[in-house]
Amino acid sequence: MNGQRRIRILSRLVGDTAPGGETERLCQVSAEVTGMSGAGIMLMSDDVLRGSVCTTNEVSALIEELQYGLGEGPCVDAYHLDRPVLEPDLAHARLPRWPAFSPPALEAGVGAIFGFPLRVGAVRLGALNLYRVRSGSLADEAHADALVMADIAAQALLVMQAGAPLGSLGAELEAAGEFHYGVHQASGMVAVQLEVGVGQALIRLRAYAFGHDRPLAQVAEDVVARRLRFDDRSGEKDPVP
Amino acid sequence: MPVVRRRAGPRAVPKGYSWALRYGSGLRTPLAESMVTGDPMPREALLARTFVELADTLVADFDVVEVLTLLTDRCVEVLEVDAAGIMLVAPDGDLKVMASSSETMRFLELFELQSQEGPCLDCYRTAAPVVNQNLATVNGRWPRFSVEALAAGFHSAHALPMRLRGTVIGALNLFNVGAGEMPRDDIEVAQALADAATIAILQHRAALEAQTVNEQLDHALNSRVVIEQAKGMVAERQGLNMDEAFTRLRSYARSHNLRLAEVANDVIFGGLVASDLDPPPPRGES
Repeated sequence: MNGQRRIRILSRLVGDTAPGGETERLCQVSAEVTGMSGAGIMLMSDDVLRGSVCTTNEVSALIEELQYGLGEGPCVDAYHLDRPVLEPDLAHARLPRWPAFSPPALEAGVGAIFGFPLRVGAVRLGALNLYRVRSGSLADEAHADALVMADIAAQALLVMQAGAPLGSLGAELEAAGEFHYGVHQASGMVAVQLEVGVGQALIRLRAYAFGHDRPLAQVAEDVVARRLRFDDRSGEKDPVP
Repeated sequence: MPVVRRRAGPRAVPKGYSWALRYGSGLRTPLAESMVTGDPMPREALLARTFVELADTLVADFDVVEVLTLLTDRCVEVLEVDAAGIMLVAPDGDLKVMASSSETMRFLELFELQSQEGPCLDCYRTAAPVVNQNLATVNGRWPRFSVEALAAGFHSAHALPMRLRGTVIGALNLFNVGAGEMPRDDIEVAQALADAATIAILQHRAALEAQTVNEQLDHALNSRVVIEQAKGMVAERQGLNMDEAFTRLRSYARSHNLRLAEVANDVIFGGLVASDLDPPPPRGES
């Protein structure tokens, strides 16, 4: 039970079974592990690029287009509310919501739709969108899978932003699963040193770790212990590749 | 007015209160105040007050990290223990640190280690108390944890489950410098405190509109990450260690009637600069 949900998802993500590019695989695995008809990842933060990361099919692509165009929908809500937004029956929604989004989504065959925020602490990256043709609630197991998947996807986005390959994620994400306080503390310190947001600081930390072939937690430990600074140009070279 | 939000103004660290510097971040707790004012608060009174504070969270919007930090501080104050911490289970099944009576890196690492082995993990897995573990003699059981805990100066450890009916959400971990056994009464009190906190947390689900316990715990754990990020910023700007940075954040939240996570968020997004958190100069010093 200990972290197995994470390991199971990770092994599917970094395993060599699924064809296609890295971002595509991220969406495919998201849909597969949660038993959904399709998945998509939307970036909505100002800290990093805005736009669609991936979609698994035309319907998930439409779901994203609608939300970017209309500014409403489960992912938009999940991002702004900073919590999962679940609509198990879009045709008979209990809450009157998304008047512009729902009709075309229903027409495209969306029965149930779920949005999960992608975040690392205060860093909000966007949202994971999951849809299913059949209506019905997300079972507890699938819900837990989706939460872990969203966490992994958020980490994966930062890793890719840092220029590291998704294939190298396994150890990195497993280590992140140990909840190293140091990494989060270090990202706050580096944000101050570089006068950037915490999200950018996390990316710089990861880029440094990848570029120097060192575990992220170890780099963070050096930062927290004040053995390594990111604004020090005299000694260490600028860590950004 | 919610009791948990009634907070004293900033105060200098009382002289001769060194354990608070070593282990405690809650310097303005009732016990600390009564020590300063020379007006002792009996254990029963403090316990009663703690239960009222925990009950208050049932009706008010509250910060899980704040409530659990309060709980760990009170454990140290009313029980014969030297340090306390709480781990909650994440959606992936791993135990993660949520609160502790000391925010020193070394102490936090003792908890991080327990996502792999230790009394917290055993307690969570079995949903049963793991008490009076003499760390010098349990080497085989938790080889890494025992060594680290002994090196940090602790000789015995206890873990009590945080559970409500069928749901186990984590464990309360208590540490002693001495190797002696914890009195039976203290174990009962600690379990009662853990139970009250568990009810508060599970009840809080409705306020968060969380659909599942997992979702709620995920939210709580993320707010802990927000606090870590803010600690890093405050530590860097003001040249503090992480323990001091946490105390600054918490003192500011208390004296301004704000939730800890709110203050952390304001620090991260620039609504508050680190120097805003500086304590005012000590009063009444001649």
